[in-house]
Amino acid sequence: MGKRGLDTLKTGFASAFFVFGFSPAMLASPELMEAHCAKCHNDEDLKGDFSLSDLGARPSADNVFFWEDSLEFVSLEDMPPPEKSKLTDAERAELVDYLTQHVRGYHESGVAPKRSTPRRLNNRELANSVRDVLLIEDIGTHQPMANLLGDTLEDGFDTNGDALGLSQFHVEQYIESVRKIVDATIFSGERPKTRRIKVDSDNLRMTSLSQRQRQERDNRTDESIDILDIRLKAYFTNFETAPHTGRYRIKIRAMGKDRGIYDQEATGIYDGDPISLRVHMGDRTRDFELPDEEIMEIELDEWIAAGTRVQMSYPTDGLRLNGNGNFKFQYRIAHDYIKENNQELYQRVVREEVPKAKYRSTAPSHWVHWTEYWQGPRPRLFNAEIEGPIFESWPPRRQIALIGENPKAENAEAILAPIAERAWRRPLKESELNSVVALVQSRSEALGDIEALKEGIVAILVSPSFLLINPEEGEPADRFATKLSYFLKSTLPDTELLEAARCGDLDNFDLVRAEIKRQLANGEIEPFLKEFPHAWLQLDRINFMSPDPEHFPLYDKKRLNEDMVAEALRFFDHAVENNIPLSEFLTADYSFINADLAKVYSVRDVAQDSKLRKYTFTDGRRGGLLGMGAFLTLTADSLGTSPIHRAIYVMENLLGIHPNPPPGDVAIEEPDVRQAKTVKEILSAHMEDESCASCHKTIDPYGYAFENFDPVGAWRNAYTMQIEKRPTRARLAEVAKEDQRLAALGLPPLPRPWENTPIPVDASAQFRNGTSYGDIVEYRAHMASDSNRDRFVRCFISKLLTYANGEEPKNYWEVEKILERSAENEYRIVDTLAAVVDSPLFRE
Amino acid sequence: MKMDRRSFLKGIGGVLALPMLESLAVAGQSSPTRFLVVGNPLGMHPEHFFPTEFGKQFAMPETLRSLEWLRDRMTILSHTDHGMVSGHGREISFLNGILPQNSQAYPEKNISIDQLIARRSGSSVRFPSIHAALERGIRMSWNSNGVELKPYTDPQKLFDKLFLNLSAAERKTRRELIERNGSILDAVGDQLSSLKRNGSATDRVRLDQYETSVRELEGSFADRRNWIDKDKPTYDISEHFADYEVTVENRYNAIFDMIGYAFQTDLTRVATVAFPNELSYTDVDGVTRGYHACTHNGKKAEVIAELVAIESFQIAQLSRCLQKLDAIQEPNSDGSMLDHTVVLFGSGMGYGGTHSNRNLPILVAGGGFKHKGHVDTRGSNGQNMPLCNLYVTLQQRFGIEKDSFNTSTGAFDLRHG
Repeated sequence: MGKRGLDTLKTGFASAFFVFGFSPAMLASPELMEAHCAKCHNDEDLKGDFSLSDLGARPSADNVFFWEDSLEFVSLEDMPPPEKSKLTDAERAELVDYLTQHVRGYHESGVAPKRSTPRRLNNRELANSVRDVLLIEDIGTHQPMANLLGDTLEDGFDTNGDALGLSQFHVEQYIESVRKIVDATIFSGERPKTRRIKVDSDNLRMTSLSQRQRQERDNRTDESIDILDIRLKAYFTNFETAPHTGRYRIKIRAMGKDRGIYDQEATGIYDGDPISLRVHMGDRTRDFELPDEEIMEIELDEWIAAGTRVQMSYPTDGLRLNGNGNFKFQYRIAHDYIKENNQELYQRVVREEVPKAKYRSTAPSHWVHWTEYWQGPRPRLFNAEIEGPIFESWPPRRQIALIGENPKAENAEAILAPIAERAWRRPLKESELNSVVALVQSRSEALGDIEALKEGIVAILVSPSFLLINPEEGEPADRFATKLSYFLKSTLPDTELLEAARCGDLDNFDLVRAEIKRQLANGEIEPFLKEFPHAWLQLDRINFMSPDPEHFPLYDKKRLNEDMVAEALRFFDHAVENNIPLSEFLTADYSFINADLAKVYSVRDVAQDSKLRKYTFTDGRRGGLLGMGAFLTLTADSLGTSPIHRAIYVMENLLGIHPNPPPGDVAIEEPDVRQAKTVKEILSAHMEDESCASCHKTIDPYGYAFENFDPVGAWRNAYTMQIEKRPTRARLAEVAKEDQRLAALGLPPLPRPWENTPIPVDASAQFRNGTSYGDIVEYRAHMASDSNRDRFVRCFISKLLTYANGEEPKNYWEVEKILERSAENEYRIVDTLAAVVDSPLFRE
Repeated sequence: MKMDRRSFLKGIGGVLALPMLESLAVAGQSSPTRFLVVGNPLGMHPEHFFPTEFGKQFAMPETLRSLEWLRDRMTILSHTDHGMVSGHGREISFLNGILPQNSQAYPEKNISIDQLIARRSGSSVRFPSIHAALERGIRMSWNSNGVELKPYTDPQKLFDKLFLNLSAAERKTRRELIERNGSILDAVGDQLSSLKRNGSATDRVRLDQYETSVRELEGSFADRRNWIDKDKPTYDISEHFADYEVTVENRYNAIFDMIGYAFQTDLTRVATVAFPNELSYTDVDGVTRGYHACTHNGKKAEVIAELVAIESFQIAQLSRCLQKLDAIQEPNSDGSMLDHTVVLFGSGMGYGGTHSNRNLPILVAGGGFKHKGHVDTRGSNGQNMPLCNLYVTLQQRFGIEKDSFNTSTGAFDLRHG
């Protein structure tokens, strides 16, 4: 059995313990094991890679997971397998009791919950933390952290201390990034002049996709320019980039043009969606809904770093439906529309323009002839006005707030101390800043006071006290506030939270729960609501093996991955907002969908737009996590689905069971979707091979139920991938001829994949303990059981602790206590969060 | 083996002064492995690129004729792809197998293989990688943040970067920056020791990791300070621009010569060269049409001939560069410089005429591999091999001991040594 943390544990464990309490172990139990387990789990057969001798006399650090797994299997009635050996109910109860006591005894025997290893901030925490130390709105529009390496995910989490590396390269990049941010925040030079720039329509241009300018394709009139191609951006020729860092006031006059003229199914843009304009300032974006056919003046007031590009685009997931998705193919829609609705114009173009065209002069329906006549929905830009950089004062107010109006190096200690306290999340120790102050003072002559102080700030922000979370002993209250803040807000704690922790206002479950509810109500825990479900559900994997674009064109062309991820996050949001019981993740008959997802889920009664709305499914097949496109897609291959992948996902991420990986030397057949076999037939090979069967009998039943869902999560009653398009007549003749030749040699004829027929899906299976289901509806009923609810909540708790601590929890006894607290509160999600935070596993 | 200084002169024309190995002080020990990538955005006309026979005994296809001399030291891979649909715009995944819009699923985004290798060898040379093209790049190189690295499109500017020494003022600024960063590390180091005294054993694990990082970085600052003061190698490319008319050929010759010389002097160990769509090839014999237009030839023989002429030109430029590298004895090691340079030619598009992105034209040469001629990479099920499998093999050649790269499913069997 593999290594594991506690989330392997253990349905039935809590209940078993509370029912049986502390009766002394009956001597009979080891004999029971000998009688019922040893036949397979001995040193020679090692079924499931486990022998009874692995248990030793009692649990120890080396073997406790064998005890935990044994308990899991026995209490779930997966072991001993019903067909091999029969335990009476009384015997099973006795065995469970015996195992429970040993496991519990081990964990209670004084191994105190270990403090988790300090880990470094990941890139997003780093960006937020620097922002909050410097008291600015974000790290700046000049992408100062673009040079950092991406964080490696471990099981979807970007908080894993081991996976987050730290090297010479990292440290150097941190210095570079932090310096760029500080440089765009604190100025030592002259106040730059404020300018006012008028952007006429002549000054509006479109970018090119390539690395060199070429003639843009745009729709231009004397007074305006349209953004047609969603891949291109408009920009101002007389203000391509911000000349100086500072606040800019930008006014843009724009309108939404031609919404709803073309059929929404042709453009992929729903009539219900407004036309928006996205303004890009580096990687900061702002979206504005434009009124239809009416000019609106958009106003932005933004702190923009020098060198930042200011550009505008049309944010939509449409306009990619025709051809391979490139914009030019969309012009066909103009042809179809004109042919249908404006015969006069159509005839004129065909008569006068097509014959003179340089290309395709004999093909009037070709898109090249219709580029001038595009009437798809689009933003139209008229002109703009820019004023900046604007400073209320010099130095700017934010700089004064940070280091004062006229800072001197000789006061470095006083100036830098509050900055260091914020950055290091604790009071400073005696003379701790000495080396930083010395640095500032040694530089001040050469660089001037302000630049020298900036060196000091950079040093504070690349110090291990800043880059690592809780890297040293300190006041428990400060450590706790720091952890809680990174857990919920992905940034350092603010003064209020530190104060609250220091005053004991977060000392028990009720206080913690109230604090979480307060932060939730204030919209402060956005980072948690976005990052945790993303990591837990491994949503990053969704396009790792994206559905084949030829067979599932909608997925690629409408970027369904984004809708699917949004659905999962929205559901999580809903759960927290309404503090629903966690079991609803598995049992809900509703989810949050838009018109694109409705197409995948085959439901019709939804609004025709891109907004996610709550929808209740009536077929018993969907709702909650188990019916979501995100889960069904990220566990599928490009062309086919694998019950095993889906089973493992459900086990590891929802139920907290970690099956062993297949042995390294096993030959795994590559999937071949062309063959006319059902998945079950292919996988039945597993069941014949003893070494595979011992694990796959447990694994596979968790996944078969989803076979009715194809690689994008749409319902199917039959497999059709093995049916190929009928070949041309010429090819058919060739095949017939080749068959004759083969027949003469006494060989079988060539396969005829176009003659294959659909194969009905069989989504039934039997769990190891004998429970069986016929389809996804019955499977979902099974998942609603109390024991599966407990497994799910336990797994959720374990994932929360992994996210918070940067490593999996190891003391599962404490996890059982969190589960108990959760149960007392109807398994409600916010209460469970509070129970996790209040646990010694979090508080350390 | 001892380094023969005269062999440098033999290698590259137009040398004014005896070259010094840039990183001689650092190198010294073993000889470096280098990586040269040459790519185009439109693929290759398949009938003229792929030999009809598999194995080592193949008739050299027309497009590759200029590589006849290298036939035993190259491998042509048939039937690789990145699983992309047809059409332009996917060729930008040539060196990574991932389109930018899907890159979020990967921790290092759509990092291209050249950048992975450059990161490995980068710290010991002046330039981790250099990129060149004429007119415009083809979006081949992407860093681990999904940012596209733009190539030098003007040989003169590339020359300035590679061989022009920094002005005194620039040197001063850079020296100052290193000094400033060094002082910051000093201040941090002082604080670190007090932290370590306070930390528990658990805490110390990561503090040690941090301390090691800082110490190593300080060491590399010292190296870099040396780079700044050190003059770059001297080089002259004027011969390529001496003619009355400066052609595409002259300019590519200049680019390849500069890269060859940069390899030779260990200025860099990773280089990419692109032949873009937009370039006018009418300088090349027999070419009157645009490159892209030639790929949409409607199977007309005379247009295909023009396309093949353009493609042969690309290969000939590469061949000329490789011949020069092969004429140079690798310092400190056996074999020629080419034997220590992994060369990859290819495209992220299969063939522009059909817009197919299956069966990519891929050729690997040099690098001390035991080359295999023409290989059908399809598996037993008839499926194409992910091109990333080749990149797994290449990264391992550079000592990156990982058995996966982006969308790989295994490794391509190509040994070296």
